[in-house]
Order: sequence, then structure tokens, then C-alpha cells
Amino acid sequence: MRFSEAVKLRNVWVAYSGSDRPAMRNINLTVPLGKLLLITGPNGAGKTTLIETCLGLLKPYRGSAYLFGVDTRSWRIRYARRMCGFVPQDFMKPPFEAYTVRHVIRLGFAPYKSIFESLTEDEDKRIRWVSELLEIEDLLDRPIGTLSGGQQQRAVIARALVRKPKALFLDEPFSSLDKEGRRLVSSVVRDYVNTENASVVIVSHDVNPIIDYADIVVKMENGRIVSGEDYA
Amino acid sequence: MLEFLGLAISAAVLSGNLCGAIGFYVQRLKITTLSFSVAHAALAGASIGLILNIDPVYSAMITAVASALFLGIVFTRIEYGRELISMAVFSVSSAVAIFAIYLSNVRVLATVSIAVVLWGSLLAITVEKLILLLLILFIFVLYILAYRIQIDSMLYDVKMAEAEGVNVQMHMLIMLFFAGLIISSSLRLTGGFLVFTLLYNPVATSFQISRRAHMQLLASSILGAVSASSGLMVSYILDWPVGATIAIVSSIILLLAYTAKIIAEAVRRRCLSRPYRLG
Repeated sequence: MRFSEAVKLRNVWVAYSGSDRPAMRNINLTVPLGKLLLITGPNGAGKTTLIETCLGLLKPYRGSAYLFGVDTRSWRIRYARRMCGFVPQDFMKPPFEAYTVRHVIRLGFAPYKSIFESLTEDEDKRIRWVSELLEIEDLLDRPIGTLSGGQQQRAVIARALVRKPKALFLDEPFSSLDKEGRRLVSSVVRDYVNTENASVVIVSHDVNPIIDYADIVVKMENGRIVSGEDYA
Repeated sequence: MLEFLGLAISAAVLSGNLCGAIGFYVQRLKITTLSFSVAHAALAGASIGLILNIDPVYSAMITAVASALFLGIVFTRIEYGRELISMAVFSVSSAVAIFAIYLSNVRVLATVSIAVVLWGSLLAITVEKLILLLLILFIFVLYILAYRIQIDSMLYDVKMAEAEGVNVQMHMLIMLFFAGLIISSSLRLTGGFLVFTLLYNPVATSFQISRRAHMQLLASSILGAVSASSGLMVSYILDWPVGATIAIVSSIILLLAYTAKIIAEAVRRRCLSRPYRLG
């Protein structure tokens, strides 16, 4: 299947269940393949709502949202999601979480597995590849709960990348990273866009680490896109 | 007599094991309130069975599975007010159960048929029910093994699993379906009002014992089996109601585990704060 765009939002309005006030109003946005899109804006602007709407985790009550051509209201949306990687804002696990980093990355393959199927040799190689890429190879056998915020964030980014997604959605991926970590993640993501012709959507209130790498910058305020609407 | 007791203990071990395991999953998947309502729907179903003069286990199974599927669908479609709908199902189920008991022909609360519905009975355990429990255990284990990685992904983070394309809705529905099956088939042992003690106490105890998800699952299953079988033995020796005795035994185990954890942590803190002396 060939696509020219990963995400298409047309006049999308989204409200949280139980709330009368829309969290996102009349959004029009297209995310082309092979581009890195940065969504920025202050807290409460609707950035996370936008990323979750793109993935179909939130459904529009007005307008239409498509992920790889699939309407996010359709039951087939989970097949489109299999072409995506996602790093949520609330990725941190408590100290007692005993899943090892290797196990967490391995879980990225879960949707592709049929019943009783276990990890293949190729997938094992990909876990090693992505852990070297994000410089976490020494942490693979450590329980994720015992790691620092920055290390946990790298592990979750590794889980998203190991799937070799056609679209990558990163919600505040620099929030726990130091300067060196931000530089590393930014360049890894940029290289990934160039080599795989994938789309990357990054939500970040802090534009400094990624602005030089982004192809498109969209600014949001009060649930609306206030600049960068050329990509609508 | 020994044969009868062996049958009862086998059923207790199986019920406890199943309840402990499903309790772990419903807790980790944050659908505990829903399973609580399913337990009460099972009680309503068992009570309706008294009026219709059919085996309470099968009528409980129908209402428990129906409510599990209903709540499962509600859970996947509605974000706000899920708990309230669940509590509405709980209230209606409790009311239906009491009405059905009132309307049934059973005049004395201590009869076996009522005991099965309300507080469980040793006499209600048969070979047929034991086979049913074994069958449910077999299918449940098969399901967990078949979808191990998908379920693991949901246990780690439901939102990430859904965003990556795991069929979260289907697995939530299946888990609630199993909760309905397990609760209704365990009803004979513990009774409708106390079946959830086997769902929640073993998993709460396992959280005091281990922090590893797989160890918690194992511990919860074993503790469920231990609570149910030892409670049953105590009830037989002291001639107490089975369900209530199982609830007390599982609560004592939870209390002991909690106390042991507090003591262990206090000792650890004392060891860590002790100054290190050279020489």
C-alpha cells in the first residue's frame, strides 16, 4: 500500500468525554511522508490532544481524521496504528516496575505477533540495533523502574523505533533528557526520517532541541493552530 | 466422607487459583470496579435460578457473562462515567438478587439452595462442577499463553499498547468474560456476597510479597488456592459458613503479609541508617 500522507485532519473538533468545552477546534492538518513536523505551544494548547487524535485514541465529534487513509472512527484503525510508533508524555514507571528494558522494547512487536508466537532472531537483532542507536545497550537487562527519567525516556523511544514505523508520534520526548540526550534523540529521529522516508510528529513546548531538524513547525494555542497552517 | 472432602478441596484449590489469577489481571488492567459489578450480577443470576428452579451456577453464568460483556462494551466506548455505570449495574444486581430470594419458594435461609447463593456450601460441590472449573482453567491458561505478549503489553501500559495496534478492546472484553465465568463457577464455594474476597485479597497479598508482575500473578494464584482450601478445611472443622471462613482466612493472610512487609522495611531502614565503623 502506498500513501502520500500519514495523517490528514479535516475540520476536526475534539472534546473530552464529560466536558462541554472542545479541547481542539476546527483543526486542519496534513502530515506528509518523509517530513518531521514539530507542534509547539504553551501548556493546555491542545498539543497532546492533537497527537492522540492523529492516532485515533481520541475521536473527533465533528470533522474527519485519517491515519494512513483509514478513518480513525473505523475498527480498521488498529491496522493503521501498526504502522506507527508512539511515545506518551506519561512514560515514567515507578521504582517497583520490574520489566527490563529489553522486555519493554520487545513489547513493541506485540501487535504483529500471532498466537503462541515468540521473538524471532531478526527482532532480537533489531533490539540490539536500536539500543546501540540510543546508547542504552548497557541498560538492556536493568528493570526500567530503577532507571532515571532520561534513561526511561530513551528506552520508550527505542520501543517506538524498533517497530520501524512509517509514522512516529512523540509527545514531549525531551522532557526528561539532558542536553546530550536531546541532541542524540534529535539526530536519531532526523536520520530515521531521511533513511526510512517516515513521518515524525513531535509535540514539544520547548522548541530548542529540535527546531533546527524540523521540516514543518506548527504552533497551537487554545485548541487552535495559530501558525503553520500552510500544511492544512 | 473422605472422597467428598477431597472433591470439595479440589474445587476450592481450582476456584481459588482461578480467582487469584483473574484478580491479578483485573487489578493490573484497572477494571476492578467492573469485576465487582460482575460478581453482583452473578449473585442476581444465581438468585433468579432459585425462582426458575434451575442450577444457580448456570443462571449466574448467564447474567455474569452478559453483564461482563455489557460493561466491557461500555468501558471501550465511554471514557467519562464508566465507574458510575458499573455502580448502577452493581445496585440493580443487588436489588434483583434480594427480590429473587424473597420471591423464591425457599422458606428457610439455611437450606442448601439459599446457602449456595448467599454464603457458599460444602454440599453444593459436585464432580460436574469440578469438571467445569477444570475446563475453565484449561481455556483460561490457553488464552493467556496464546496472547502472552499482547497481554504483557497491556499490563505494562494500556495506552501504549492501544496506540501501537494491540486489540485492547477485544482483550478487555475477554478478560471480563473470564471474570464472569470464574466468578459464577466459584459461587457455590464462597457464595455471592463473598466471591470477590477471593478476587481481591490474594492479589493484594501478592503485592506485599513481590514487585515483579509475573511473581505477583504466580503468588496471587497460589494464595487464592491456599486461602480457599484452608478456609474450607477450617469451616468443615468448626462448622462455620464456607464463604465467610474463606474471606476471614484470606484477610488474615493479607494482614500477616502486610505486617511482615512493614517489619521487613523497618529492619532494612535500621540497617541502612546504622553508621559504618572502620576496624
